[in-house]
This record gives sequence, structure tokens and C-alpha cells, in this order.
Amino acid sequence: MHELSIAAEVYRTSKDAVAGHGGGRLVAVRLVVGELTAIEPELLGFAWEALLKQSDDAGARLDVEWRSARQHCAACDAAKPRGEGTWLRLCPDCGQPLTVEGGDELDVLSVEFEQDGGGGHD
Amino acid sequence: MTETVDVRRRVLEANEAAARLLRERFAARTLVPNLISSPGSGKTTLLEATVQRLAGRLRLAVIEGDIATERDADRLRALGVPAFQILTGGACHLDARQVDRALAEAHFGDLDVLFIENVGNLICPTSYDLGEDFKVALLSVTEGDDKPFKYPAIFARAAVTVLTKVDLLPHVTFDLEAVRVQLATLNPTGDVLLTSARTGDGLAEWCALLERRLAAKRSAA
Repeated sequence: MHELSIAAEVYRTSKDAVAGHGGGRLVAVRLVVGELTAIEPELLGFAWEALLKQSDDAGARLDVEWRSARQHCAACDAAKPRGEGTWLRLCPDCGQPLTVEGGDELDVLSVEFEQDGGGGHD
Repeated sequence: MTETVDVRRRVLEANEAAARLLRERFAARTLVPNLISSPGSGKTTLLEATVQRLAGRLRLAVIEGDIATERDADRLRALGVPAFQILTGGACHLDARQVDRALAEAHFGDLDVLFIENVGNLICPTSYDLGEDFKVALLSVTEGDDKPFKYPAIFARAAVTVLTKVDLLPHVTFDLEAVRVQLATLNPTGDVLLTSARTGDGLAEWCALLERRLAAKRSAA
């Protein structure tokens, strides 16, 4: 459900970036989303489309890169692979608590846009 | 011709910046728990029982988040506790800017504990830092014993999980041990409390936990 407010923040961040570079129409946004953010990719896509529909940026792509979390076991002093979708925070080998790093990313990496004024249609 | 520019900005940075300011403002003085659960788990009822036990000793206030109605804030005001109701008008979670605005309007004064009761929802509030000291996840025994694994993000991040309505355990199918195993797996360092606001079970322990955390926060400062 919060995908709509996340999409709105992504859009705001992207618009700010475009405005900071002379303004223009948004073509694509590259977003990094960690697997522990509890963001549902399909819902984020729907929210993005719905949000932009009535705007000048309608049709702009949202390209999402997924990032996995890294797990480390202090007792084994080793990185431990993380099964897809699992939230278990205990070492599969020794049962001790794992340190989990990353997976909570939610960053706009870059924006692609068509610059204003290039077409001279005003 | 299109142009691509690097942005590299956190999507929630506006919220995170607001949360940082709130955390600085509460530093060393006020303990701020952020209560998160599904609707109907008993957040407001736990708060009613809590303020009745702590009101004489501690200066308390509550920020309530709901989509509609002042009902929750009214319930706490009826007990003599200052309460401010944030109406999200449809949004499924509170964000730090709403909490900041609520504080500006509420004029609570100096507080020992500021409870934030989030919008009833096990998913969305998890992503939004409100400047709290810790998140509290509530799970009522009527919701079923599979919920920690089904909603892992909140149970992994909450420093405290409060099981509520435990007086109903004899009447519902709820495998307490299975829930303990799920919680220990998701969150090995988290506290788990068993409470019933109706019978008073576990409330002394819950209030002691709050007082302990308040003392720890102040002595660390």
C-alpha cells in the first residue's frame, strides 16, 4: 500500500534532479530497491504509472535494480549466503545470530530526460 | 536528444532528515516508542492500560495516527493524558514530517514518554522512521500464530514484540511456542512480552521495560 507514497517520493526526487539540470520531460528513472524494504515491485510499477498518467511525464520508465542483503556470522567469521525471500537471522551452520547488511536500499540512481527548449516549439 | 544525470539520492531522505531532527530533539529527555500492529490488535487498549499505571510517575503524551476519526485520541484524553490525533486521510502510515507538525500543534511541554501509535498496518509503517527510540510490534493471539513469518519486516525490526489478549489463549488456536521460535529466528535480540489489558497480565513487566529504557536513555546521554 505504501508503494504509492514511495512512487510519489521517487517522482519528486526525479523532478528535482531534472529541474536542477535545466528542466525537461522525464524519460526514465533508475531506482535501486533492497530486498528488505518490503516494497512490492508490481505495485510500485502500477503506482508509478498511475501517478504520472495525468502529468507531462506520462510514460516515463521506472527501471528497478534489486539489491540483496548480505549476511555475516561473527561466530563462524564468514559470509553466509541468504536464501531468496528468507528473513531468518540465525546462521544456517552454527545457529548464532547473523549480522545483516544492506537490503534496505531505496535510492534514485539516475534520471534520463528530454531537455526543455530543444524543440523550439513555443 | 535525451540527457542522463546521476542523482544518487535516498528516496526517503526527506523523511529521514525529519526523523533525525526529531531524534535530536528527544535526545536524553523523552523516550519515544512507535507502536505498530494490524488494526484491532489492541494498541490503544494497551496504551490506556499503560497510562493508567504510569501517569502518576511519568509525564506522558500520545500521538495517534489513523485514517479517520478522533476516537483513539479521545480515549486517551478521557484518562487525562494529552493526545494529538493525526488524520492521514487515507495514507497507510505516519511519516516523520507529520509527527513534527503534530508536535508543533500539540504543545505537550516536557515529557518523559511520548507514545506514537501508528496507523493500523503491519507493512507500510515499517519503512518510515519517526525519530523513535524503538519500534514495538503488537500481535494479538486472535490474529493467528503464523504472522511473524508472514510479516517479517516489522517483527525483525521491532525491539519489542508485545503479544496481546493472552487471556484468550484458552479459546483460540495459537501456538505460543511456534510464535516464540519465529520471533527468535527473525529477531534474536528482541524482547517478547505476553500481556492482557483485560486481566492486567504482563503490564507491570511492560511498564518496567519502558522505565528501564527511559533510564538507560538518560544515563547514556
